[in-house]
Amino acid sequence: MSKISSAIYEVHYMDTIASKDSPIHRIHPLAKLIVTVAYIWFTVSFDKYDVTGLITMVVYPVALFSVSDVSFSHSLKKLRVVLPIILLMGIFNPIFDREPRFLLFGVTVTNGMISGLTLFIKGFFTVIASYLLIATTKIESICYALNILHVPEILVTQILLTYRYITVLLSEANHIFEAYSLRAPLQKGVHHKVLGSLIGQLLFRSIDRASSLYDSMVLRGYNGNFRHSQLPKARRQDYLYPVLWCAVFAVLRYTRITDIIGNLFV
Amino acid sequence: MSHNHIICKNVSFGYDKDHEILHNISFTAGHDDAIGLIGANGVGKSTLLRILVGLEMGFTGEVAIGEIKLTKKTLPRIREKIGYVFQDSENQLFMPTVYEDIAFAPRNYGLDAEQVEERVQHALDLIGIDYLRNKQTYKMSGGEKKLAAIATILAMTPDVILMDEPSIALDPKNRRRLINILNSLDHIKIIASHDLDMVLETCSRVILMSGGRIIADGSARDILTDKALLEANNLELPLCLQGESGTAWRPSPSPEHMHL
Repeated sequence: MSKISSAIYEVHYMDTIASKDSPIHRIHPLAKLIVTVAYIWFTVSFDKYDVTGLITMVVYPVALFSVSDVSFSHSLKKLRVVLPIILLMGIFNPIFDREPRFLLFGVTVTNGMISGLTLFIKGFFTVIASYLLIATTKIESICYALNILHVPEILVTQILLTYRYITVLLSEANHIFEAYSLRAPLQKGVHHKVLGSLIGQLLFRSIDRASSLYDSMVLRGYNGNFRHSQLPKARRQDYLYPVLWCAVFAVLRYTRITDIIGNLFV
Repeated sequence: MSHNHIICKNVSFGYDKDHEILHNISFTAGHDDAIGLIGANGVGKSTLLRILVGLEMGFTGEVAIGEIKLTKKTLPRIREKIGYVFQDSENQLFMPTVYEDIAFAPRNYGLDAEQVEERVQHALDLIGIDYLRNKQTYKMSGGEKKLAAIATILAMTPDVILMDEPSIALDPKNRRRLINILNSLDHIKIIASHDLDMVLETCSRVILMSGGRIIADGSARDILTDKALLEANNLELPLCLQGESGTAWRPSPSPEHMHL
C-alpha cells in the first residue's frame, strides 16, 4: 500500500473505531469532551518537577483503553509521528537547567532532566487523551458537542468539513501519484521538474471534487449550517461520568496520592 | 397534480458569450413523464440537468418547476422539489454512513428526529437497501454507492428526479436492479444516458440533443428505433434492437467449431 493509500486507510480506520459500541462509545459526546478538556487542564497544571504526581494521571488512559475496546499498541503506532515532536519539546531542558537534584545509581539527576521528563509525559498524556476522544466519538458527535457549548457555527463547520475533505484531497493525490509512478517505474518519488505541475493538478482536481461535494450538499438543503443528528437524551451516567472523572483528577492533582499509598506500606 | 411539471423555454447557456453550450432549448415535462436525455459526448446533457437544478445560473430564457420560476431567490424551494443524482456517486456521498447521508437532507429541511427516521427508512425500503443502513460509504461497491445515492434524494420526497448517467460503471445485475427501481418510481424523471437500452426500458419519451440543441423530442420507441437519426447524431441503435437490423454483435465461434 502506498503512503497516501495508507493515510486514507488511517482516516477511515478512525471512523470505524469511533463507530464501535462500547460503554465509553455510548457516553454522551459532551461528557467525553468535558472530561478530555479537564484531563488536559489537570495534567498540564502539575509542577514541572512533580513526576510521581503526574504519573498517577495514567489512570485515565489506562481505564479508557481497557473499557473502550481501542487498541493501545495500535494507538502508539498511530502516534509515532507526534511522539518525536513531544520529545523534542523537552530535549533542551537538561542543557539549560543543570542544577543537581539527586543521585540515582551514582548518576546525578538534574532539574532539567526531571522537567524534560515531565514535559514529555504531559505531552504524551494530552495527546493520548485527545486520541481517545476521537477514537471513541464520531467527528459529527464531537461537533454536536461543540455546538451545545455554543462554539461558533462557522468554526464547527470548518472542523467537520476539513475532516471530510482530507480524504478527498488524499484520494486525488493518490490517483495522480499512482498514474505517475506507473509511467515512471524506475524513479523513486516524483522528479522535481514535474512536481510543480503535479501539485497544480492536485489543487485543481481537489477544488473540482470539493465543488461537486458542495453542490451535492446545497442540493440537499445545506445552507451553511450543519444540522447534526440529535443524540439520545443524556442519561444519569452521562452526568455522572464527567463529575466522577473530574473528582478523580482533582484528588490526583491536589493530594499526594502516591505518598498516601506509600505510607500504608511503611 | 397539475403543478408537477417542468417548463424549459428558450434556454441558452455558455460559460463565455462566444461559446454557447446550449442553444434555445425548449421542452415541458408533465406528471409521470419519464424522459431519456440522449446525445453524444459534450452535447450539453449534463449542463441542461445542472441548469434545471440551479447549479448553473447564467442562462437566458426561462425555467420553471411547478409554478415556481427558477431564480436565485427561489433556489431553495426549487431544490426541495428536485432530486439530482450525480454521475459519480463518490461526489454525492460525503457522510460516514449510509444512514447519515440519507438523513442529511431531511435534517436540513428542519424535520424532527422521528420524521427523519421515517424518511430514511422509507427511502431505504424503496430502494431495498435496508441492509446498507449503517454501512460506511467508503466500504461500499460502486453499485451499492449508486443505490445509496438514489436513496439520498428519495428521502427529500422530490417531485422530479434528474439522473446523470445512472447506469455507468454498474455490473449487469446492479444495472437490472437500477432499471427495476427506476420503473417503480412514480416521479417525473429525466435520465441523461448513453445506455440506450436502459433508456428504452425506463423512459416513455426521449429528447435527442446534438450541438447544444434539441434535435428530436418524441416517444422512446420512435426515436430509439430510428437508425438513421441516431447515426446522424453519433449514436447507434440500442443493442437489443441491433439484431433486427442484422448488425448485432455475435460471439466468436467456440474452439470446437474452429477449423485450424
